[in-house]
Amino acid sequence: MMRFTETLPSLSSHQIASFTRLNMNKNNQVYSARPWLDFPTSKSLGSFGDANCMEQLLVHCANAIENNDATLAQQILWVLNNIAPPDGDSNQRLTCGFLRAIIARAAKSGTCKLLTAMANVHTNLAMNNHKFSIIELASFVDLTPWHRFGFTAANAAILEAVEGYSVVHIVDLSLTHCMQIPTLIDAIASRFEAAPLVKLTVAGPTEDFPPMLDLSYEELGSKLVNFSRSRNVVMEFRVIPSSASNGFSSLIEQLRMQHLIRAENGEALVINSHMMLHYIPDETLAVVPNTSSPQISIETCSSNSFLRSMFLEALRSLDPTIVILVDEDADFTSDNLVHRLRSAYNYLWIPFDTVDTFLPRGSKQRQWYEADICWKIENVIAHEGPKRVERLEPKSKWVQRMRNASFRGISFSEEAITEVKSMLDEHAAGWGLKREEEDVVLTWKGHNVVFATAWLTI
Amino acid sequence: MNDSTASGDSSPGNQTTPPKPTAKKKRNLPGMPDPEAEVIALSPKTLLATNRFVCEICNKGFQRDQNLQLHRRGHNLPWKLRQRSSEEVKKRVYVCPEPGCIHHNPSRALGDLTGIKKHFCRKHGEKKWKCDKCSKNYAVQSDWKAHSKICGSREYKCDCGTLFLRRDSFITHRAFCDALAGESAKKNTALAPPSADEDPKIQTNLPPSPPPAMEAPPSPPPLPVAAPPPLQASSPSAPPSTAVLSSVLPLHNLELPESASHNPATTRILEETPMVTDSPVNCSSNSLSSNNGSTSSNVFASLFASSTSSGILQSQATRFPDSFKTMAHTKQASDVALCTSSEPISLCLAMNQGSSIFKTVGQECRQYAPAPQPAMSATALLQKAAQVGVAASNASVLRGLGIVSSLSPSSEPQRWGRQEIESEGASLASGLGLGLGLGLGLACDGGSALTELMLGTPSVFGPKHATLDLLGLGMAASGGPTGGLSAIMKSINDGLDVAAAAAAFGGGEYSGQDMGRSS
Repeated sequence: MMRFTETLPSLSSHQIASFTRLNMNKNNQVYSARPWLDFPTSKSLGSFGDANCMEQLLVHCANAIENNDATLAQQILWVLNNIAPPDGDSNQRLTCGFLRAIIARAAKSGTCKLLTAMANVHTNLAMNNHKFSIIELASFVDLTPWHRFGFTAANAAILEAVEGYSVVHIVDLSLTHCMQIPTLIDAIASRFEAAPLVKLTVAGPTEDFPPMLDLSYEELGSKLVNFSRSRNVVMEFRVIPSSASNGFSSLIEQLRMQHLIRAENGEALVINSHMMLHYIPDETLAVVPNTSSPQISIETCSSNSFLRSMFLEALRSLDPTIVILVDEDADFTSDNLVHRLRSAYNYLWIPFDTVDTFLPRGSKQRQWYEADICWKIENVIAHEGPKRVERLEPKSKWVQRMRNASFRGISFSEEAITEVKSMLDEHAAGWGLKREEEDVVLTWKGHNVVFATAWLTI
Repeated sequence: MNDSTASGDSSPGNQTTPPKPTAKKKRNLPGMPDPEAEVIALSPKTLLATNRFVCEICNKGFQRDQNLQLHRRGHNLPWKLRQRSSEEVKKRVYVCPEPGCIHHNPSRALGDLTGIKKHFCRKHGEKKWKCDKCSKNYAVQSDWKAHSKICGSREYKCDCGTLFLRRDSFITHRAFCDALAGESAKKNTALAPPSADEDPKIQTNLPPSPPPAMEAPPSPPPLPVAAPPPLQASSPSAPPSTAVLSSVLPLHNLELPESASHNPATTRILEETPMVTDSPVNCSSNSLSSNNGSTSSNVFASLFASSTSSGILQSQATRFPDSFKTMAHTKQASDVALCTSSEPISLCLAMNQGSSIFKTVGQECRQYAPAPQPAMSATALLQKAAQVGVAASNASVLRGLGIVSSLSPSSEPQRWGRQEIESEGASLASGLGLGLGLGLGLACDGGSALTELMLGTPSVFGPKHATLDLLGLGMAASGGPTGGLSAIMKSINDGLDVAAAAAAFGGGEYSGQDMGRSS
């Protein structure tokens, strides 16, 4: 095995031979030490394009990097680079995203000095991602049902829950910067004869997760207040500086202070979390895998260790009228890179697969869209520890957490289901709605994409 | 009957007309029948009859006799399907029964029965198909069906002119669109602001009255009180075209008129951008990204345009010459070529970006880029990278960077390749095709057999005679090696010096060529 090194490695005829064979297809001898060589040679290169094969290559590559086998890693990277152009089909683009992420990881792993040095110059990742103007973002979230699915289901559930309250306090923990709120306000305005006072609280300032907004929350708020007024709904908007990385602790604190007042006012408290809670550190963050020193630093991480569950318990203590939990249905929490890679690969093909149905090749929006997915891939693959913020958990896990925090799930109404269905009808045929117990799940070609759940306190 | 200059479009038997069509004739003008066709005049009743052919057993009606015959088979009745006659079926044309109608004249008869039926219904019939959602009526069922499918789709139109397919989208847009802000600002200025929140420490509720400037998108809005002051002072009253926020921004301002997709709203938001940002670097990148959609991936990323933009990708190869040709005319080109310091490289990167899309803008860029402030975004980072590079420069991989100096000044474009590599001496990277070694981004053991394969890649940058087939693995075929390569480089996006090196490869190549020519 060859380590990443600065010194000139010995020229190995064995390697030359193997590579030549791969290339020239003159010899079908297989080197078992190089698992990817089991794959077809150049004549049948087309089969490299197979998603399973590309996943295998990525896994081998990740393993090689984890094992410090620079030669192998590099060779696989080279092959991957050739079979997965960034402008290829959806699987190729997906693989390309993973390829880049793996390289970024290799650069950070510290085994290659040059790349580590480069990593030190690492600029803000955010710079690769488009900062949306508010108008752009508004149209962006509606390109697919990815977000609108949760919006629609959640709004319907919220409307039912807050009926009769004169004051509705909505805490919007949303990845999409309040994009759900206008339709909710509109629905409130048209559904209730006397619209309640709406207090909207968001956690700010905007975090550096895509999609990123090119507008301060203060300005965003003024637009929302303005819009509400146009619908004859009085809205109060405020931003509470708070971050997912510490479990929105300051937000919780503020809400707790208000909790006392709220009880007297007969105020409904709605917690709407849209693809945001998975940024709260989960238990696996306590274990920081590090190839050079695989120690578990319990002291530093113990404060994080149960942040996710603690957050839910804190929510529960606020006695909310309803809690909506919408998130992507996948598991990115594994400490094992390969597990995570497989899991991410087998989930993130979906956004790549769907994109052809709503964005033409080469469009700017498509670039933004795919860059945001690539951001996720890179975050899942290239980062470890607190920098790895994309910590999706599957629905089952969230359901368990919610139940542990003394919430009980409630069903979405038939109205809500109908609304979601008619929304899906306006999108590509591959989208579907699945009901699992009380919850609803957005599917693409039968695969779970996003789940929406609604919770009451027990 | 009619003058024979014009023949029916679909008349097969008309051999007399020479192939040259008369220029005046519109191809699809309805009702220019073959003069030899048999003209049929059907009564309105016949035209409107839907099921003229009725089954004697079950009274089911059919529009066509053929269908009835097929139906009769099910009843075990004698049936007769018309056989294809050996001789050519006589061409038929149909006239409209309505006397005043233009298609009443046999010279404007319509070529098919369905066509005349639809015409008669649409123009002279009752519009009995009504749309549920809107007030539109249709005489022909198929028209109504087609309308029903799209009805409502154009229903939502924002004052800003944008149309929406779905109400949700419209509402969301409407909430954030400046058109609303302007409108309600007029309406509601008198409305009292909601009472302050219970907790004064918390950021206060925003004043409900929108900034007055929202009414008029083209004029830059005043700074909202809450917003931090812009880092790079721009005169708020300056019109967009003259506002100079940084040297990066102007570049894009210049682009603005050229990029058609911008509406005033986005422009306005752009100009607010600096307020939201908190560092010069971010600032310029913000402006970049928001200003021109396609540059969203910012200077660095768009160097390796392939990474995010498949659209830009395709002409990557050709763009190198463009951008670097421009360069070659300036002194700075030689600076770039001669100096290993990264600053000029960043310059050339910026140019690559600018000129690839708008060549003229690229020229502007050259003027701006040397200014200290803008350089911050790209250059400062590159400088850092260069320092790092120096620090690690015994690491032979970095030799790839060395190429910038060793290669570019040369006036011989074909220095690329083996000679060059060999002369670099036996070091880690040197065995490899220099660019690719870096491109793969890992410790590149030149000793690996990759060398042989990779040597092919520089040829893509290089003179055309180099064979792409060398790659064997179909690299070129699969969308451009440049793309693949740069994608990798982008991923090491921290590795700006790699980036620089890559650009320098292309750049050195072409500017070298150019200089060769000019000297």
